[in-house]
Amino acid sequence: MLRARPKLLIVLLIVLGTGGAVWGQTQSAGAGDSLAAWGKIITVLQHPRCLNCHQLNSPLQKDSRRMHIPHVVRGVDSHGVGPMRCGNCHNDSNNLTSRTPGAPEWSLAPVSMLWQGLSSGDLCRMLKDPARNGKRSPEALVEHMNSPLILWGWNPGPGLEPVPIPHAEFINLMNVWVAGGSACPK
Amino acid sequence: MITLNVNGESNQLDVSPEMPLLWAIRDKLNLTGTKFGCGHAMCGACVVHLDGEAARSCSIMVGEAAGKRITTIEGISGPVAEAVTHAWQSLDVVQCGYCQSGQIMSAIVLLNENKNPTDEDINLGMEGNICRCGTYVRIRRAIHQAAKTLA
Repeated sequence: MLRARPKLLIVLLIVLGTGGAVWGQTQSAGAGDSLAAWGKIITVLQHPRCLNCHQLNSPLQKDSRRMHIPHVVRGVDSHGVGPMRCGNCHNDSNNLTSRTPGAPEWSLAPVSMLWQGLSSGDLCRMLKDPARNGKRSPEALVEHMNSPLILWGWNPGPGLEPVPIPHAEFINLMNVWVAGGSACPK
Repeated sequence: MITLNVNGESNQLDVSPEMPLLWAIRDKLNLTGTKFGCGHAMCGACVVHLDGEAARSCSIMVGEAAGKRITTIEGISGPVAEAVTHAWQSLDVVQCGYCQSGQIMSAIVLLNENKNPTDEDINLGMEGNICRCGTYVRIRRAIHQAAKTLA
């Protein structure tokens, strides 16, 4: 126990030091920092965990981005049609028996948020456009990244790869991106 | 203990909230009309109704079904259910029959929400109910016939 304490102290100093650096970066972020942060943010948004449901009429599935089996379609409320609605199979949490992933409000993203095929710059401009991001301010957009359905991307259950950046780091990157003016590549 | 309301009856079950609803229906309540097919919500053999919505009971967990009105093939009733089962019988839809309780449960939800479905509506609504005997043509005809009966 006594031997472990110096190690614990070192880990704490590293964690606090990292957090302080990010906070300082957030406070003084410029367009360059913002653009650099976006370069990492996009790797999350274009990951299958996000992109598979930011589709026009039918979601994709798995890390391979194959068509959803069984075939399902959006419907008027983005939750499917008739006997083929998202909640007919998907729970509010992952089902480890059937291996069906789940989170609250499981559904396709709204039609205004179709990300498939967009370049990094176009997705960036869509994300910060209130007309296409659910009328969200930059701060509300960061907060949105803490909602249960989005958090599922970090905990997709067995057989599915999580998004590539830890959630706390992702939120820090979002803060840097916003603080630097939500810069977008061309 | 978890309380499940199945076919109008309240049942106290000592099971994990993460148990698939199908396990509870078949193994604890001995209602075996609902079938196990793929176990991954992909074939539709296990469809039941939760508050009137189609639900794949191999995938929906007991904890999520608690507090909802669960209906299995044994408990269906009402004009739509009668029209569907009558059409199924009069057109002799069933071949081996294994998938048919799931087919009927999905068809009832389809007709509850759409009184006059087109072929495309039927295709989209019944897409997730697989029939290895290939009775799809007869299923479609039976759904149209049930819709006419209900008109």
